[in-house]
Amino acid sequence: MITLDPEYGPARTIPHPVMFRVLDSEADETAVPKDLPVGKGAEWAYYPGCIDYYDQEMQFSHLNYGDTDHGIIFDSSIKLLKAVGLEPVILDRSFMKCCGHDQLWQGKLDVFQRMRDYNTSVIHRLGIKNLVTSCAEGYRTFKLDYRLDGVNVRHITQVLYERGLRLPPPKDGKTIRVTYQDPCRSCRQMPVDPIYEEPRELIRRVENAELVELKTFRADAQCCGVAQMMYCNDKTKGLTASRMLEAKELDVDYLLTACPKCLTHFGCLHHENRWKPEEERYRYRVVDITHFLAERLEGETVGRSPSVIPQAQDPRAKGRPQGAE
Amino acid sequence: MTLRMQSVKEGVYEERPGFPTQYGPERSDHQPGVPFWPHEVYRDLVIIFVLMAILLFLSAAYTPEVGPPANPAIQPFIVPDWYLLFSWGLLKLADVLPTIVFTDPLGNLINMDAAFWGNMLTFPLVLLPLLLLPFIDRGRETRPAKAAFRTAFGVAFFLGFLFFASLYATNDRILESWPFIADDALKWMVIVPPVLIFFATYVGVRRLGFRDMYWWNLLTIGAAFALVLLMTLWAFALVPWSIDGMDPISRLGTSLNPGTLPLTTFMLIVIIFSALLFYATAMLKEKKAKEVVLASSVIVFFAVVVFAKLFADSNFPATYATLKTLMLYSNFFIALPLFSLITFYLGTRTPYSTYEYLLNECYQCGKCHTVCPVTKVEDDALGGLNLVYNTFKKQHDGVPLWTCLACDACSAVCPLDIKYSDYILEERSKVATQGAAANGGRRYGE
Repeated sequence: MITLDPEYGPARTIPHPVMFRVLDSEADETAVPKDLPVGKGAEWAYYPGCIDYYDQEMQFSHLNYGDTDHGIIFDSSIKLLKAVGLEPVILDRSFMKCCGHDQLWQGKLDVFQRMRDYNTSVIHRLGIKNLVTSCAEGYRTFKLDYRLDGVNVRHITQVLYERGLRLPPPKDGKTIRVTYQDPCRSCRQMPVDPIYEEPRELIRRVENAELVELKTFRADAQCCGVAQMMYCNDKTKGLTASRMLEAKELDVDYLLTACPKCLTHFGCLHHENRWKPEEERYRYRVVDITHFLAERLEGETVGRSPSVIPQAQDPRAKGRPQGAE
Repeated sequence: MTLRMQSVKEGVYEERPGFPTQYGPERSDHQPGVPFWPHEVYRDLVIIFVLMAILLFLSAAYTPEVGPPANPAIQPFIVPDWYLLFSWGLLKLADVLPTIVFTDPLGNLINMDAAFWGNMLTFPLVLLPLLLLPFIDRGRETRPAKAAFRTAFGVAFFLGFLFFASLYATNDRILESWPFIADDALKWMVIVPPVLIFFATYVGVRRLGFRDMYWWNLLTIGAAFALVLLMTLWAFALVPWSIDGMDPISRLGTSLNPGTLPLTTFMLIVIIFSALLFYATAMLKEKKAKEVVLASSVIVFFAVVVFAKLFADSNFPATYATLKTLMLYSNFFIALPLFSLITFYLGTRTPYSTYEYLLNECYQCGKCHTVCPVTKVEDDALGGLNLVYNTFKKQHDGVPLWTCLACDACSAVCPLDIKYSDYILEERSKVATQGAAANGGRRYGE
């Protein structure tokens, strides 16, 4: 039986146990594969992170039949990087592991250290110079908690801003109001290279977008409510809801974020609200900033195939008694 | 009353004042407290003058009687009280300084002899720096772990200096009891160990503040290694001279005396150990270096014991000659490797249990409580005072370890830049590791 020091209150609870067992079990295999699929000397590499696992968890698990699409972050990122003239090596999950952010902050130091050592050796073996990540937590973890000597870790918004992403003029002149949630991992927690200006500059490059700020922003931005995937309860949902209500009061069309975790939890609440359509609270889209920018580019963004529309599979979506709480 | 309190709290949460501070260059307005000059000085001067007046009055009004005359047949062992021993030691030490006699422009004969230098050593060199230290070290930080120079110089160096100066006050007794110790060795003892203590303390205290002390370690240990090497060569030049008093240069290499073999052995041990320390500090990763140094110091310790046993049993005059040569420079051969070891340990130790040094900077402004998102939703936390302060005090802080979002909103507004999320990170891994060990390897929540 686990007993904890009572002064710390109850022990941690992790609301997505299966996903974290899968992620943790990855760390047990520590042997670096001999024949890595990419040759040496890769200048640019893109690390998508664990977004496909989130899709599994968010769309198909019993916890949530939400329609938040994390996979599109990957497609959008590749499209945007191609638009600024980069053909990055994709650090696929077939030979990379999770960056270990959640494991570190959940206190599983041993798991994190195994993942870090493995990933570090793979990255060094591939000879990567610039590591691009589309995830705020990955950005912080690779930059601060890893010791990647000689590897320049960049968030994708920084790369797009520095290489001058140009967006075509919009087809319809309708003005859209956009707001941006600063992820805590990429702004406040970064003593070096915090990301404040780059996403805002990128949003301003969309001609018909009007950037409005939430009640708290930049270094004071309130957390989305959940960090390191711990504690999914009414308290954390209350925090998420308060943040989303701030966006609602601003009457925005888009709530953007640069962190898949924020997207997950905003999307979760967004989806829950659909169960009661008569109380439509959040009439805006919650999307990742890469998704938002890629939509404005020419050409298709490959998204999820239409056969996995979650609403069609959710038994509770139909036949739910009206007014039931 | 309750309702009013509640409404005040809600007002605070709803109309939360925006804190426009962001991370930026280092802040310089982090020094609370009352300055020493002039506030404290004025108050202390008043107290000192009143005490002086009382003492002057007492000495004038009540003159004590003179005791019985001394017996000239008894040779007394003259030492002052323990707290003035250092002064007596410095007076004795003063004969190393040159005697200067000259006539000043007014025609007075000025005799700068040992007595003069002894007084100069006592007051201007010991007490004056202590008096001037607050003016030299202008930092207002009062925690020893934060004021590295003040701790190392004002406390460690001075305590060491006073101790070894006091030791020299009894040099005649020491020389009588241990005849192989040279007087010169004791003289060097007054200045060399305190300097080493200063460096070791400085490195250790800086490390306590989570600084990487690689270059400091490298420099101090490298300097120690170089000194040991130089003094070894010098000691070899002195070996023949110490036996029969002949000129060392002309005797160099001409004959072997019985002290050469043990001396060579001892020197080799010391040099190999110093070189190993230097190599480990310069080349190896910190964790590996620690292991190497620990193992080698254990081996060297037993090597010295075996060395002493071997030569003391077989050849006593040779050992005596060796000790006599070594003791002249015992500061370097004994203090330097020890100093290197201590400095290395202090400079590489993980400052883990001292993390609270970072939390106790908190002066309870409560900004963190105002911005913390968890305190807005957790019922327990509504009446909490302050995250950092209460965590440091181990009181219930309203943000228990596992409820904290680690969003770092508190650090963003903290006027002292306390990194609360770093503390959370450390504590979580600690608690989870302990739990895994106690629970058969399984982790919490699984």
